Amino acid sequence: MSATTQLPAAPTPPSASSPADDAPRPPQRLRRGALRSERPGVRFAAWATVVVCGGFGLLPVYWLLATSLTPRDQVFSYPPKFFPSAPTLDAFAALASNDQLFGYLRNSVIVSVITAVLSVLVSAYMGYSFSKFRYRGRRSLMYLVLASQMFPQALLLVTLYSVFSAYGLLNTYTALVLSFTTFTLPLCVWMLKGFFDTIPDELIEAARVDGASRLRIIHSIVLPLAAPGLIAAGLFAFVRGWNDFVFALTLAGPEKQTLPPGLVNTFIGEASTAWPELMAASLVVSLPVAIAFIALQKYLVGGLTAGAVKG
Amino acid sequence: MTSSQTHTLEHRKSQTAPRRLSDGQFAVLLLLPGVALLAGVVLYPLVAALVTAFFEQSLVLPGRTFVGLQNIVDVLQGDFLRLLRQTLVFTLGTTILPFVIGFALALALNTRIRGAKVLRGLMLIPWLVPGVVVSFLWMWIFNANYGVMNALLQGLGLVDDPQAWLAQPGTAMGAVILAKTWQSFPWMMVMLLAGLQTVPIELHEAAEMDGAGTVRRFFAITLPHLKGIVGLVLLLEFIWNFQHFDIIYVLTGGGPAGATQTFATAVYETAFQGYDLGKAGALGLLWMVLLMALVVVYVRFSEKGEER
Repeated sequence: MSATTQLPAAPTPPSASSPADDAPRPPQRLRRGALRSERPGVRFAAWATVVVCGGFGLLPVYWLLATSLTPRDQVFSYPPKFFPSAPTLDAFAALASNDQLFGYLRNSVIVSVITAVLSVLVSAYMGYSFSKFRYRGRRSLMYLVLASQMFPQALLLVTLYSVFSAYGLLNTYTALVLSFTTFTLPLCVWMLKGFFDTIPDELIEAARVDGASRLRIIHSIVLPLAAPGLIAAGLFAFVRGWNDFVFALTLAGPEKQTLPPGLVNTFIGEASTAWPELMAASLVVSLPVAIAFIALQKYLVGGLTAGAVKG
Repeated sequence: MTSSQTHTLEHRKSQTAPRRLSDGQFAVLLLLPGVALLAGVVLYPLVAALVTAFFEQSLVLPGRTFVGLQNIVDVLQGDFLRLLRQTLVFTLGTTILPFVIGFALALALNTRIRGAKVLRGLMLIPWLVPGVVVSFLWMWIFNANYGVMNALLQGLGLVDDPQAWLAQPGTAMGAVILAKTWQSFPWMMVMLLAGLQTVPIELHEAAEMDGAGTVRRFFAITLPHLKGIVGLVLLLEFIWNFQHFDIIYVLTGGGPAGATQTFATAVYETAFQGYDLGKAGALGLLWMVLLMALVVVYVRFSEKGEER
């Protein structure tokens, strides 16, 4: 992708802890100059944009929260109340007493955790091979891994269903874990390769001279040094499994279904949807992803753009 | 690095048993689990699905018969053009709209307005929630009887009566695009913000001293610097949206009357509700050919733009 070659490597992630607003930090004198140069018109335009686009981004989030706190009977009134007059946690209590949902939750946790572990292992080996060895077809294979995410999953499912069915893997965790792990490979392999690239070859040479086996070098030297990368890749893989809808919907029966299709089956299609409970459930489902992201944000933008920049 | 590795390799070879793996073999061994997964879950299903395009095959019955191009002809004579149009409307809508909103926000939050950092974090929320949650939320917002969208638009005097946004063929696609836009724009914002932070501020200051206004500087300095990342986010977003499934499927299921059906939902429905694997494969084949063609055209186009 030559369109991206002019991009400088790894832009600083816009995390709260990043010290500067502008990556190549100019001397203080120049910064002040830039500050003064923001004319009233520019400031007004910036504020107007923030209000309009920010409203589009955040009002639905507010509505999600507000609805989850609204008593069930108040939801079915028009026009809706923008501020719930008698906020209640009833919807969350109703979720807590729903055993079926706990079943979906258990499936989600099992599938996502195993996906995370397996994905880290597989992508670490693959990324290490790409990073520290040179062989024919290496670069082609790297791009093939990257390109594998281009293929539509709805199309893959058409035959995956038959394949898993033939091996008796329908309605199992295995089918979901294998699928999710594969779809995390493009990002995880490229991200981990980036981490391994920063580990000096001299370190590996030194261990070899000391007689460590190649597997031992990976497990005792390389992986511990790349721990932040492994955590980032693992969290990403966890989220991939957690958020998936169509694979769990198609390959897993009611027994093994994860939360996203489980929630659709539980709440959608009834005559009157229990909106406060559905919104409360939505909040609960989103929570692990938000936590994962906060833990991950230092690496996420770097990892996403790193793959893109080198591609 | 390669030479030093070869050196060590020879060094080792001289003192260890000859049947040990070479470095090359070891490297290939490390690739095996990943390659096996990619072959089993992506490559084989893809090829097999495209091959079924030439067979009459059911999801639930065993056996298949070769029918040549019959499936493809059937698909092309069916509502293929309508599917293509709807897929393009969805894909372009969900690529351009998030780009405009994300770019506007990135530019606004790259200034020194107060609270920019907090807002950058908060704006990521829509991108973080799972796709089904996006669908649930917008299903509720667009609800025909109690939806807040109707209340808002009526309050502003923009509609006279409450509308069933997701159940009317004329409005369903717009509603779905808006929901997907809400999910996508934060990613655009993050990528473009990262790009904006690489634009050297000295250039802006020099240009300003020479009397260039904000708009002029945007087109002369900011935009050329962002060309690479803009091209990249547009291409990736296009590829992703061309195959997007979740939000459309949960919000409308492709309806009403097929008005929000795209290639992704049509292939899924043909295979798993119509049990017609041959026709699903034919749709998929045409879909992939189109995607490849569009990507090649795009890459050519952007390369040409760069040469200028």
